[in-house]
Amino acid sequence: MENAWLIPLFPLLSFLVLLLFGRKLKIASAYVGIILVLVSFVYSVIVLFERFTAPTHKAEAVWLSIGELQLTAGFEVNQLNALMLVLVSLVSLLVHIYSKGYMDGDERFPVFYAYLGLFTFSMLGLVMSPNLLQTYIFWELVGVGSFLLIGFYFYKESAKQAAKKAFIMTRIGDVGLFIGMILLFWQTGSFEYDEIFAAVGQGEVSEKWITLTAILIFIGAIGKSGQFPLHTWLPDAMEGPTPVSALIHAATMVAAGVYLVAATFPLFAASETALMTVAVIGAITAIFAASIGLVQTDIKRVLAFSTVSQLGYMMLALGSAGYVAGVFHLMTHAFFKALLFLAAGSVIHAVVTQDIEKMGGLWKKLRFTGPLFLIGTLAISGVPLFSGFFSKDEILMAAWAHGNYGLFWLAVIAAFFTAFYMFRLFFMVFSGESRSKMDNVHESPGVMIGPMIVLGVLAVVAGYVNTPWFGAFLGDWLTEGNPALGHGHVEGPAWIMFVATAVSLLGILLAWLMYSKKSLERDWLSSRAPISYNILVNKYFIDEFYKLSFVYAAKAISLFLKFIEIFLVEGIMKAIGGITQAFANTGSKLQNGQVQTYGTVAFVGLAVLLVIFALTGGYLQ
Amino acid sequence: MDLETLLSYEWGTMAPEFIILGVATALSLLDLFMPKKVDRRILGWLGFTGILAAIVALVSLIGHDTTSILFDTFRLDGFAKAFKLILLAGAALVLLLAIDYEPKEGMKEYRGEFFYLFLTALLGAMMMSSSGDLITLFIGLELLSLSSYILAGMRKKNLQSNESAMKYVINGGISTAITLFGMSYVYGLTGTTNLKEMSLILGNIADPQHVYILGLAFFLIFIGLSFKIASAPFHMWAPDVYEGAPTPVTAFLSVVSKTAGFVILLRLLLAIFASVPVQGDGAEPLPLLLRMQDYLAFLAGATMIIGNVIALRQRNVKRLFAYSSIAHAGYILVALTTMSYFMFDAIWFYLLAYLFMNLGAFAILQLITSKTGSEDIGQFAGLYQRAPVLAVGMGIFILSLAGIPGTAGFIGKLNIFMGALIREPAHFVLVGIMIVMTVVSYVYYFGLFTQMFFRPAADDSKLKLSPGITTVVVICAAATVLFGIMPNLALDFFHQNFNGFSDFLQ
Amino acid sequence: MSSVPISAFLALALILFCIGLYGALTKRNTVIVLISIELMLNAVNINLVTFSKYGVAPAITGQVFALFVITVAAAEAAVGLAILIALYRNRKTVNIDEMDQLQG
Repeated sequence: MENAWLIPLFPLLSFLVLLLFGRKLKIASAYVGIILVLVSFVYSVIVLFERFTAPTHKAEAVWLSIGELQLTAGFEVNQLNALMLVLVSLVSLLVHIYSKGYMDGDERFPVFYAYLGLFTFSMLGLVMSPNLLQTYIFWELVGVGSFLLIGFYFYKESAKQAAKKAFIMTRIGDVGLFIGMILLFWQTGSFEYDEIFAAVGQGEVSEKWITLTAILIFIGAIGKSGQFPLHTWLPDAMEGPTPVSALIHAATMVAAGVYLVAATFPLFAASETALMTVAVIGAITAIFAASIGLVQTDIKRVLAFSTVSQLGYMMLALGSAGYVAGVFHLMTHAFFKALLFLAAGSVIHAVVTQDIEKMGGLWKKLRFTGPLFLIGTLAISGVPLFSGFFSKDEILMAAWAHGNYGLFWLAVIAAFFTAFYMFRLFFMVFSGESRSKMDNVHESPGVMIGPMIVLGVLAVVAGYVNTPWFGAFLGDWLTEGNPALGHGHVEGPAWIMFVATAVSLLGILLAWLMYSKKSLERDWLSSRAPISYNILVNKYFIDEFYKLSFVYAAKAISLFLKFIEIFLVEGIMKAIGGITQAFANTGSKLQNGQVQTYGTVAFVGLAVLLVIFALTGGYLQ
Repeated sequence: MDLETLLSYEWGTMAPEFIILGVATALSLLDLFMPKKVDRRILGWLGFTGILAAIVALVSLIGHDTTSILFDTFRLDGFAKAFKLILLAGAALVLLLAIDYEPKEGMKEYRGEFFYLFLTALLGAMMMSSSGDLITLFIGLELLSLSSYILAGMRKKNLQSNESAMKYVINGGISTAITLFGMSYVYGLTGTTNLKEMSLILGNIADPQHVYILGLAFFLIFIGLSFKIASAPFHMWAPDVYEGAPTPVTAFLSVVSKTAGFVILLRLLLAIFASVPVQGDGAEPLPLLLRMQDYLAFLAGATMIIGNVIALRQRNVKRLFAYSSIAHAGYILVALTTMSYFMFDAIWFYLLAYLFMNLGAFAILQLITSKTGSEDIGQFAGLYQRAPVLAVGMGIFILSLAGIPGTAGFIGKLNIFMGALIREPAHFVLVGIMIVMTVVSYVYYFGLFTQMFFRPAADDSKLKLSPGITTVVVICAAATVLFGIMPNLALDFFHQNFNGFSDFLQ
Repeated sequence: MSSVPISAFLALALILFCIGLYGALTKRNTVIVLISIELMLNAVNINLVTFSKYGVAPAITGQVFALFVITVAAAEAAVGLAILIALYRNRKTVNIDEMDQLQG
């Protein structure tokens, strides 16, 4: 564990090597990247296993001294960090392998791998940082890496815009993080997590300051994790290559916000207001994004909104003091969402469109992708025995146990939505007949299927590390020796589990009735003619019923929310941009090339200052 | 003053200045007598060697005790040493750019002048940082200014260059007059031009009328000098002059000349206005300078907003960098405004970081604009395909200018933020403006970034690198990253050798 | 024997400074603008000399300072005129408002 600091350096090495020699290595650059990330991954696993038995390891050295202030840099391996290391390096490794097939033939292939290396380095550095300042530094680098990756297809104007938008939107959140960080430093005299928590624990910082700084830090997380109202960059970011979406928008960058809240959890735990803010924003995001997901027709956009929604879940968990639930869902989500993105990439690779209206009937043609996608869909829908079921259950328990009943029900509805739109997606893509002419549909190469199988297995089994039946191993381990993080497992009423199961099955059923039934119908009619009439009526009835009441309402709500999104959130952004532009235009006009104007402006400035000085009798204060 | 006193001075403390003076004189004579056909670049290399020698001389003086000679008009204190180091390093890099400078119409016989005018300007800046007297400060300032006026108009046949020089002279003249007018009042109230004596006399000033006049003088001096650092309200000359001047001169103005501006500003403000006690509402009298914080904060905020926002509209890269340089002056003014106990660290480090990142960017800018003959931002399109090394270098400089972690620019901004927030009361508004403006600056910095990496090149011809520019780019990129990752190299050096400028007025 | 009060000198300097500033900011002819700047500098000289005679603590340094200012003013005027001549050769005008190629 003493040498854990080496872990991020391998991807960095990959970045440097590929940047300098990428052109010569060509296709071999994939192997360079894969091997170096593999080393990181193996080492991360070793560190994780060491961490099971050994205590937290922390090493630091003085990095910067300003005046009498000493700032340190170093690394720390605690439970959360060790877990994140494995998670990040694993998903990154799988994406590296997958991209070998997906990006094949792209002329900037080595550059892509170089960027992946840079991004992985920053992300690994982020999760190892022992203090806020270092976290912030890597946080920014993650932003730069994602900027490069999202804008990879730079010849597409939309990709370029998306990259810029992602960078600037997340920066707005970063401003909050930065101010919060410096305020914490001011209050506690340190950037170190340990010392900050100690100061908070001993009551050296007033409640008011804790709340303020916690919320400021949370604003950073809002930007990075695409929470309402700073979420608009995330769906746009789907312009990047699909493996990038799997890496950035499933397991790493967007999870960084959740990680940040988890890493500074004792701070949040010390302020009920801060926790409440996190929970409310999380719940709003969960329901908001899920309802928008209902009407999307772009396969990647559906997944993007589901990511936003799931991140909202994690925030809700953390905000309900469910530290374990949040981290647990972060982990399971990383697996099944990465799986879904990679499978979606495989579908896009096969049919060369992202519009699900044009797909259909791919189940028979994509023998591997189909079942794998199904596993991911089942997991995210919270179907029992899949990983998502356990972690979502844990979140609902936490929300209930913390007394957030309103938010609990919001989360339940969001779970229903999730199951519905995910299966809508699944049925529209895989069942029935193709809705457009599809030539040449072929399964992806093994190099793409392999990583998906690994993730598929994990999406099924990852949940069993923390279950109500076989013990909360993960939870106990995560909270070990740190009472501020709460308990390993939250006890809640047993009916929650049934409710969760019921709503997810209901959602699936509805999706099946609406989007898949028609294709099954033909077989039914031919074999069981007598009862078909009844069923037909029933089907008709149910369909109409849902269409008229529920689905229609949901659609209306989601259109309304979309309206808010376009006119309010984006509108405000546009207004700010417009004012800035107007100011720039005025300033630029004033700069009219007349040297005497310049002198006059200076003189007027001087005169104004002198007049104010004279009128106030000399002093402002 | 007889010969004996003259000889008793420790002239060795002036060694760097003497070297620069000697080289400048030698260059002007050589230029005069050398046959017309001989390439004048050799003079540039001579000048470069001279600056290196001066750096060596200065480094050997670093351990030297604080001394002052010539009735305290020339001081060798920590402040002088620290800033001279920046000035010399900056001038050396600029000279490398100047050697490689090749405008459309050619430099012809003026190239020699080009080099020794840089040296005299540098000499002026160095005198300022070492000066302990109003008169020598003023002379240093004018030596720098006059040389820069001529440098800006170096391309005699180029109308833009002429115009830029003319605008520079006129605004410069007005600013000098305003500064001097302020200085004359300070002199009138103290009867001396020596900064140390002044601060002693002003420390005992009691008459509120006199304090009031000093307040007026403060504004005159500050506004006058804000011309040199290109901050609001005397910033408007900068974009025009930067655009018209030859690129190495622009680089010089935005780095060396600006540093010199901060040097004289710090000298004057701290020696004069920090000594004046003002009886406020509270029991404890506060220095006049602290009373002026709100005004300074206002000007710093205005400078940042103007620089960053107007930069959004620029298509001409030189103008873009002019506005960005205005914005950076604003950031440094934030450090000055907040006057935290590590103000010096923050300003010094920022200027050092700014030196490397900005000069590196100008080196690349010079190469591209002179190759294509256009200063449009579109010339950067596809730089990554045409010259990957240059694009990566430029990428580093832009990231640093934008203040992204891992670069020196980030540490510089961090120091300023910490200084502003750690004080009681913290300057939230000012910091807020600075952060928001930093975000605004991403838009134009990343616009450039997008051009280089995300856009196909108009023509695919490879760019040929010249040795001078390559050296500058490599040094600057290395330093930017090095000070970004290990800022302690610079800061420790600063603490160990200049002991926090505690000898500022001794 | 100082029958003229110090305030009169200072007022004269201030007025001269303002006239100079006004000229520098409004005149079209660049030569006049440069001369106006000289006026401003000379206002400073009056101030310096006044203070060196009637100031709070009269001392000779003010006059020395004034000498330096005069010298520098001369140099500045020379440089300014030289640049103006170069400009005139290319542009055939000395009107300051016609120098507006660089703007925006």
